[in-house]
Amino acid sequence: MNSFINVFQERQDIFLEKVWEHLQISIIALVIATLISVPLGLILTRKQRIAEPIIGVAAILQTIPSLAVLAFLIPFFGIGQTPAVIALTAYGLLPILRNTYTGIKEVDPALREAATGMGMNSFRRLSKVELPLAMPVIMAGIRTSMVLIVGTTTIAALIGAGGLGDLILLGLDRGGDASLILLGAIPAAVLAIVLDLILRLFERTSAKSGFRSLVILLSIAALVAVGPLAFGGKIQNDITIGAKMGSEPAILINMYKLLIEDETDLNVGLEENLGKTDLVFGALQEGSIDMYPEFTGTAIVSLLEDEADSNDETEVYEQAREGMSKEYNLAFLEPMQFNNTYAVATTEETADQYDLETIGDLRSVQDEITAGFTLEFNDRQDGYQGMKEVYGLDLAEVETMDPGLRQGAIENGDVDIIDAYATDSYMIDLDLTVLDDPENLFPPYQGAPLMREETLEQYPDIEEALNQLSGQITDNEMREMNYEVDFDDRDPEDVARDYLTENGLLEE
Amino acid sequence: MITFKNVTKKYPDGTEAVKSINLSVKDGELLTLIGPSGCGKTTTMKIINRLIEPTDGEVFIHNKNIQEYNIHELRWNIGYVLQEIALFPHMSIEENISVVPEMKKWNKKDLTNRIDELMTMVGLDPEVHRKRKPSELSGGQQQRVGVLRALAADPDIILMDEPFSALDPISREQLQKDILSLHKEIRKTIVFVTHDIDEALAMGDRVCLMQNGEIVQVDKPQNLILHPANSFVEDFIGGRKSPWQTAVDVIIDQTQQHVYSLQEFEAGALPVDETYTVKKSNGNFAFGVHKGRKVDMPVIEHGNTLAEAMSFFEQENYSLLPVTRNNELIGTLSYKDMVLHLKKHRRTKGEVIQS
Repeated sequence: MNSFINVFQERQDIFLEKVWEHLQISIIALVIATLISVPLGLILTRKQRIAEPIIGVAAILQTIPSLAVLAFLIPFFGIGQTPAVIALTAYGLLPILRNTYTGIKEVDPALREAATGMGMNSFRRLSKVELPLAMPVIMAGIRTSMVLIVGTTTIAALIGAGGLGDLILLGLDRGGDASLILLGAIPAAVLAIVLDLILRLFERTSAKSGFRSLVILLSIAALVAVGPLAFGGKIQNDITIGAKMGSEPAILINMYKLLIEDETDLNVGLEENLGKTDLVFGALQEGSIDMYPEFTGTAIVSLLEDEADSNDETEVYEQAREGMSKEYNLAFLEPMQFNNTYAVATTEETADQYDLETIGDLRSVQDEITAGFTLEFNDRQDGYQGMKEVYGLDLAEVETMDPGLRQGAIENGDVDIIDAYATDSYMIDLDLTVLDDPENLFPPYQGAPLMREETLEQYPDIEEALNQLSGQITDNEMREMNYEVDFDDRDPEDVARDYLTENGLLEE
Repeated sequence: MITFKNVTKKYPDGTEAVKSINLSVKDGELLTLIGPSGCGKTTTMKIINRLIEPTDGEVFIHNKNIQEYNIHELRWNIGYVLQEIALFPHMSIEENISVVPEMKKWNKKDLTNRIDELMTMVGLDPEVHRKRKPSELSGGQQQRVGVLRALAADPDIILMDEPFSALDPISREQLQKDILSLHKEIRKTIVFVTHDIDEALAMGDRVCLMQNGEIVQVDKPQNLILHPANSFVEDFIGGRKSPWQTAVDVIIDQTQQHVYSLQEFEAGALPVDETYTVKKSNGNFAFGVHKGRKVDMPVIEHGNTLAEAMSFFEQENYSLLPVTRNNELIGTLSYKDMVLHLKKHRRTKGEVIQS
């Protein structure tokens, strides 16, 4: 509890900003969903034949996982609030649409006949009789959508839309920092409850005033949604650098920004925490970001869907560079030194106890130790499958687990060795040591800036600025910097600046 | 007032709800439509305000084809009372009554006065009930408001679709009386659908009996009973609950043999040992004469049932009593008439008389 309060106090300023962003995105999506669904629902009650198919479409939209919708939208709308709002809107359609349709349809036919028989035209019947009577049901739909949207908005952080999801992602990235996760999750829940209360108040009055209260509600919501945008005026950036989730990409793009702004007159904008490879790469192709740091290994395996021809760092980089240029018209600048490849790590204690230095040394204790591997590592040729072949290993016990759980498992002594990324910061925190890979089983994963060729043509100076990092930053240095951000809670920008000045790449 | 010319309603599945009917409803008349369920009585009524469009034939109101009216204006001038009452639950009593006048753009003051007038007319205190919601009223009160809603904009025609069938017997009886006295007062043309033959006979100036989408007989209540067009009419009327429920006017003596004018009475040439009634020159009941002396007699309303009439006979010692409709003396009812009627309608099972 104490740590939670600490985390809250430390991040008070960004916390309020995130709450506001969250509210804004949710309300924009809710307003748009309402503006689409209510009129559509009303039309469907007049055209019953197409009603079920259309509601079916809304239901299908609902079944698509929100993350998939986001990934799907990136090629068309890039990253940021626009695709987030579109995805959330699609998510909020069904409850409002269905409740509007049902609410109007369930109005007592006798009342409808009375209204018609007394000479009301279709619009008057709708506004005076059907809508007021259906209003509680419609409002219930809006409330359901609101809760769905406020909850799902946390995922929008993955594509750079901001909101409380940023805090949750940060917490997850820090090996499940419960305080940070709660700082994002609890306010999201509170937000949902407060909005629900407000909507309920409107629901009470809506039975009386029908149309009017809906219009009032929508205008207030629209004001909240648009208000802050008016004075939010953003600086126009010349180029935008994106990054995957995590501290390492965040530090790297800050270095890029510092170097580019130092060497050129360009303004650089940053989009941190854009989720996993697919999302960032999608954003790069679409053009909402101009570059992001990518690993040579990932470029070949995931993006080019190829296999590395060699395990030599230079050859792998060349293969990736040619591939990216040919396939995607992307420039892959020179890589830094550190190699964030798969590593097999164990505690120093265990290493001392069994005298472990290389992966091959595990053979002598393979019946005594327990391994904790991710599902993916366990299954990959450049993972445990390769270890078995190349080093002739056959570990007696392998437990597969989620990446976030490995650190806890090795800390508690549930497992003795885990797979890790070479530069992960918790290696320092947990006193882990990396076992050598003399056979070069794991392909190199060196970080390098991946950018759009047209951006490079437009601003050729960038290449020189960024190539200053070529061959810089060792595994250890990277690990240290990650540690400072993850565990000492330093700002990635400060860490990046310190490194650059200490190494003479940037003047103080 | 309302004229049906060869009106047919055929549904896409081929069923004919109404088969080429011809009917005219007279100005100021209360016509009851009755028949077994599915006979087309409700369809016929709903054709008038175009809730149902006929597939063939024409309907005229004031000699103008209803298709030529603006459909909404046509409906504003036809009050509509529903079986389900169907007051708008989200509106107050006042708002419910105001629906049509508002569409006709009445000014606020006229409307307020009209609402006061109407509510007072049916015994609802406007001060108390104006702002109430329909759910705060009893079923009987609700349908009273339902009737007021239909009357509000002062329409020429009022359609009532089994308006009392959802009510308990006591409320129903009370409302029947109210509608009759209302009708006497305002003389609107009313088309009243019912499935209750006693209601049809008691309420209707004329009764229109339908079967399988066709009109079997349109006639005054007593003619329907005295001169049924065919055995269906006879059976339908005979199938009532009990002869005691029969309305008085179907059995009263219409030969006027016990009715004399004031002049005849004053001339003094009347039989001394008989009981009889005397009417004024305007046709209204003046007084009764019993054993040669003027006496006050209780008056039986033509809509009273036999059972109700019996209670008047129990109170008095006269062998016959006057029957009036709208104060007009239309005949007399005697013990003998009643007994003969009961005898005619007694039902027997085996040798045992049931009623």
